[in-house]
Amino acid sequence: MGINAYLMIKMGKIDGGDGQRDAIRELEAMPEVATVEPVSGQYDLVVEATVDVPIRARVIAKEIQAKKWVERVHVLKVEPAEPNPFLDEVCSLPGGECVRWCMQCGMCSASCPNVNQMDYSPRKIIAMIRAGRRYDVLTSNTMWTCASCYLCTARCPKDVKITELMHSLERLAARHSLRCEGVSTPAMYKAFINSIKNNGRVFEMGMMIRFYLSTLLSKSYLRAVLTRKANPFNTIGMLPLALKLLSHGRMSIKPKKIKGVDQIKAILERAQALGGAR
Amino acid sequence: MTYYSYFPGCSSSEGTAVAYGRSIQAISGSLGLGLVELEDWNCCGSTPYGSTDELESLCIAARNLALAEKTRFTVLNEKGIPVEQTGLDLVTPCSSCYATLNRANSLLKQYPELKSKVDECLAAAGLEYKGRVRVRHLFEVIYNDIGLDFIESNVVTPLTGLKVASYYGCQMVRPEPGFDNPYNPQSLDRLVASLGAEPVPYPLKDRCCGGSLIIPELDLTLGLIHQLLESAAANGAQCIITVCPLCQTNLDAYQSKVNSKFKTNYNLPILFFSQLIGLALAIAPESLGLSTNIVSANQMLDQISMRKSYAMQGAEDG
Repeated sequence: MGINAYLMIKMGKIDGGDGQRDAIRELEAMPEVATVEPVSGQYDLVVEATVDVPIRARVIAKEIQAKKWVERVHVLKVEPAEPNPFLDEVCSLPGGECVRWCMQCGMCSASCPNVNQMDYSPRKIIAMIRAGRRYDVLTSNTMWTCASCYLCTARCPKDVKITELMHSLERLAARHSLRCEGVSTPAMYKAFINSIKNNGRVFEMGMMIRFYLSTLLSKSYLRAVLTRKANPFNTIGMLPLALKLLSHGRMSIKPKKIKGVDQIKAILERAQALGGAR
Repeated sequence: MTYYSYFPGCSSSEGTAVAYGRSIQAISGSLGLGLVELEDWNCCGSTPYGSTDELESLCIAARNLALAEKTRFTVLNEKGIPVEQTGLDLVTPCSSCYATLNRANSLLKQYPELKSKVDECLAAAGLEYKGRVRVRHLFEVIYNDIGLDFIESNVVTPLTGLKVASYYGCQMVRPEPGFDNPYNPQSLDRLVASLGAEPVPYPLKDRCCGGSLIIPELDLTLGLIHQLLESAAANGAQCIITVCPLCQTNLDAYQSKVNSKFKTNYNLPILFFSQLIGLALAIAPESLGLSTNIVSANQMLDQISMRKSYAMQGAEDG
């Protein structure tokens, strides 16, 4: 975790009108400096810097003091940055560390085909993770609305793995049993995985039946129907479609079990014993 | 004949995209593709598993990679001498399988601590994965290994005058910079041209069809499909070709739902690229599984055969 240092700077006499702006630019170019704000009163500027050890704040102060336009520097405060366990948790997931270097340009949100339906855009979700808003992030519909098209990931100028991040958030929400009302994607995932566990492959018809029954009969779905967040006709309207697929020979009516179902069982049992990826 | 381990994926083996698997089998012989189905493969896990449990999903995908790594068999070459085939590339026609298996491969390389956990799980089933398998998309194999020149020289009935929109979808061209430009892929358009057909401009060719969100988020996904159909129709396409089972199902089976929701009357057959190749190789439509298309391709087929007979008549007269 980082340490924040706050330094106050009194500027000396500067020739030319743009002195303060140049000074700010010069300070911002220092690698440790996060923000520079002009203030009025006894001092002219306040600098917020991120340092690894407290003594480093003195070194930075000395470096600033050495600049010829600086009259004096005062180290106001050196304190540990506020703890953000949610950010740490996200960063510990494979690919999650990217959120630290996101520059909030919004290219991901501009690229997302489903952004209009999301509670928070992908850019906003990253900002919220950095602000530690765990509950709001994990109960949003944002990650459940991601179609994994990877357009954001391909376009991100900072190489942030946004699609991977969305999948990580889905896993975190499931792990902490946090749900988003009216979203039935987790139920679809569950039906899909069950099919793999039972047969080794996805038996599409069995998966669909399981999914529709489990959503239609769930309390949260009923609530969603009553609050008009879900449309029951969508579900009922799937029946003719299923029949059409069946009559065109595109739905097999019995599952095909692979020989290695026991292997899969053994692999998954060991994975559960190991307690997940991290 | 070049040999590959073949991973059809659940949809193409006997599910909603059964026509994909069937048409691939039908064309592979003429193209010199030795597709040997991976013995006892399992589902790759796809996005649903990856979004539920990281370790389990990697293990599920890695079982296939481990099976592919130990695959070895002997074939007789043209002189009748037995040749052992090992270290084959794992080839899949499904964009989702392709992305998922590739993701597992690169995560296992990138995170050694994750790899050691996966190793331990695989060992519980007596399997081992050393990380040597290369995962490839079938279209990429046909494009790079077989080559369009070879295909063009084997075309029996050129699809002259047929206007085709090439739909790449997402996961064949992204996230990793693959074999084609992720922003403006061209390879499928070139294939269309090599078959004698006419590739139409298709600005949305790499945009999302919604994928498996069609099940839980129907309204949202129908909107995406509508845009894709609209763009293809506006550019005069007579059909759309895809490289992914899910894209085909979404655009084909849900086309009538789009029509009723958006008050449109699209009637665009959605073909797998392998079906289009098959038509140009003069393989019977039944062997290409064209009867499984929900939006019938018959009108398009009639047009092709009409042009063909017209061309033949012209040749006789001339």
